[in-house]
Amino acid sequence: MRTITNKPEVLAPAGTLEKLKVAINYGADAVYIGGDAYGLRTRAGNFSFDQMREGVAFAQAHNAKVYVAANIVAHEGDVQGAGKFFRTLRDIGISAVIVSDPSLIEIAITEAPGLPVHLSTQASATNYETLNFWQNEGLERVVLAREVGIEEIKEMRRHTNVQIEAFIHGAMCIGYSGRCVLSNHMSMRDANRGGCAQNCRWKYDLFEMPTMGEKQTEADPKTPFTMSAVDMAMIEHIPDLVEAGVNSFKIEGRMKSIHYVSTVANVYRRAVDSYCADPDHYVLNQAWVDELWKVAQREMSTGFYYGTPTEDDELFGKRRKRPQYTFVGQVLDYDAKRQVAMVQQRNNFGVGDKIEFYGPHFTHHEEVIQQLWDKDNDILRRAPDAMMVYQVPVGIPVKAGDMLRKERAK
Amino acid sequence: MLLAADVDTLYLGEDFFGLRLPHSFKRPEVAEIVHLAHAAGKKVTVAVNAIMHNDRIAKVADYLDFLAALQVDQITVGDPGVIYLLQQKKLNLPFIYDAEVLVTSARQVNFWAKHGASGAVIAREVPHDELTEMVTELQIPGEIQVYGATCIHQSGRPLLHNYFNFVKEHQDRADRARGLFVSAPHKPETHYSIYEDFNGTHVFANNDLNLITKLAELNDLGLTHWKLDGLFADRDQFVSIAQTFVAAKKAILAQKWTPDLVEQLDEQVSTNQPANRGLDTGFYEIDPSEVQ
Ligand code: SF4
Repeated sequence: MRTITNKPEVLAPAGTLEKLKVAINYGADAVYIGGDAYGLRTRAGNFSFDQMREGVAFAQAHNAKVYVAANIVAHEGDVQGAGKFFRTLRDIGISAVIVSDPSLIEIAITEAPGLPVHLSTQASATNYETLNFWQNEGLERVVLAREVGIEEIKEMRRHTNVQIEAFIHGAMCIGYSGRCVLSNHMSMRDANRGGCAQNCRWKYDLFEMPTMGEKQTEADPKTPFTMSAVDMAMIEHIPDLVEAGVNSFKIEGRMKSIHYVSTVANVYRRAVDSYCADPDHYVLNQAWVDELWKVAQREMSTGFYYGTPTEDDELFGKRRKRPQYTFVGQVLDYDAKRQVAMVQQRNNFGVGDKIEFYGPHFTHHEEVIQQLWDKDNDILRRAPDAMMVYQVPVGIPVKAGDMLRKERAK
Repeated sequence: MLLAADVDTLYLGEDFFGLRLPHSFKRPEVAEIVHLAHAAGKKVTVAVNAIMHNDRIAKVADYLDFLAALQVDQITVGDPGVIYLLQQKKLNLPFIYDAEVLVTSARQVNFWAKHGASGAVIAREVPHDELTEMVTELQIPGEIQVYGATCIHQSGRPLLHNYFNFVKEHQDRADRARGLFVSAPHKPETHYSIYEDFNGTHVFANNDLNLITKLAELNDLGLTHWKLDGLFADRDQFVSIAQTFVAAKKAILAQKWTPDLVEQLDEQVSTNQPANRGLDTGFYEIDPSEVQ
């Protein structure tokens, strides 16, 4: 029986230490995080060195890796202290840094030898000679531009042996990443230093203007012009990605919730394992696809993998898909004797609600909540307070780290 | 005509290899222009600065051979794959690093200098206050755009056609000549040019750049490679604007740079600016700390 030996890595986002642990528990081989400096998402979810140490220790105990994104495009003065920063990451045990700016690449390679460097998608690598260039410079891996198709990846594989990482799931820039400064010009926030104001998703008027100020509107007044991409989901094409030679499957979303991270990592872990164990008898499980829809923020498409995206890959007018499920809590502990779970609340739920419980290894079951107590054993009908711990009788055993979600009213 | 306007270097190319060019020149035309320019003692820079996909990079090697044989003075490059080919082929073809918005620090420019670049086009998002720091560190000349359109977004998708298809208005044209603009929400006075071509969809800054009043300052900083972009200008107007900048250069070199002259030259640029396009100084005067 054929198996896949060069199994790709499932790489998940981790905006916080909690998300890092959740991602790894739910099957990620590696996570990427932001550092205090030099990360594109500078305004949220960055790790201090101490948090990194804890994250690396957790990852190593689970045979997983931690990468740090340092993908800003530096202006004068921004790179001060970068050498020390990279050396600290290396000594903490970070497995690689993800960098876009050549000046930071050079600093990482010359001043922190031994720390592997990956080229960020922000550098828009779209051809094999670019991959060869960066391999020649000492990079271990290149994250491809999202504009690259499956056939192009196969062609790259014939011309280079540098590791290839590709985005398989999540939100996308509508333009070549790194080449968009809409935010700089419209909002005075530098897109290449973590400030992007998502201007592509704004609604614009579109017009001709033969002389200044004389607008002749071309836009449909009911549907303004916009440049908003739907999200990517490659769940239905895992075999193509593996066979094309992609080494790392990247999931977008350092800002997303643990509900999202756990669900998406869980699904892709399952699909990759299943394909690699027996590629010739692999079948796509519809439950995986359904699972991803439960956390989808937008519609999903395959981006550029199978050709240039059309209008179906963009969002015009009203959002056509709403999240279907609400994340309501996380299991902290389960008392098997009493059959009671300690649940930390994340959204209101209560007696009579049909709850879906899910956990690592794609375990799932549904139960209607019959009873509910607070910590002091007082009987309740609803669990109203965020982050408070409630006691919930659950008939089928669950584990610490399992999650609870509830279908939204349609 | 531009040669007659006495510019030092012509910049041109073919849109299969170069980005956002006023005209796409085929090889025989490039050859002819190079001969004319060289006969007039001028230089030619050819654009090879596209974001190359595999199908294009496969053809770049041959194009580089062609340009080297023509003795083109230099090329612009924005894709490291092209630099890799130049390294492999050891061609005598100097290149200027031009990755547009990405070229924002001296250390980055110097990285490309170590890889053979003979110059770099500085991003238009670098304000004056950062330029002053940058120039003291630059190991190769920094080119700076002083006139013309500023691209602020490039998408690989046909964003205008996708929109027309969605609203079921089958408009066949979304090219540059059509002259489409977008304005930002709640800012009806804004007008960002947008068009589609072979390289995707391009969006431009609200106004074209005009740094004619800042030329002496740039000269003092040692930034003497001034680039004019004629993407949206008509031919005659652009030639006049080029003449104005050439006159400015001569005045600065002759130390005849007076406030009156500056005002007069600035006026000339405005007069020749297309009727549907504004002018401003872009990021030049912005305080770097204002940018978040
Ligand atoms: S505005 Fe849109 S395309 Fe541009 S950087 Fe931001 S998210 Fe990406």
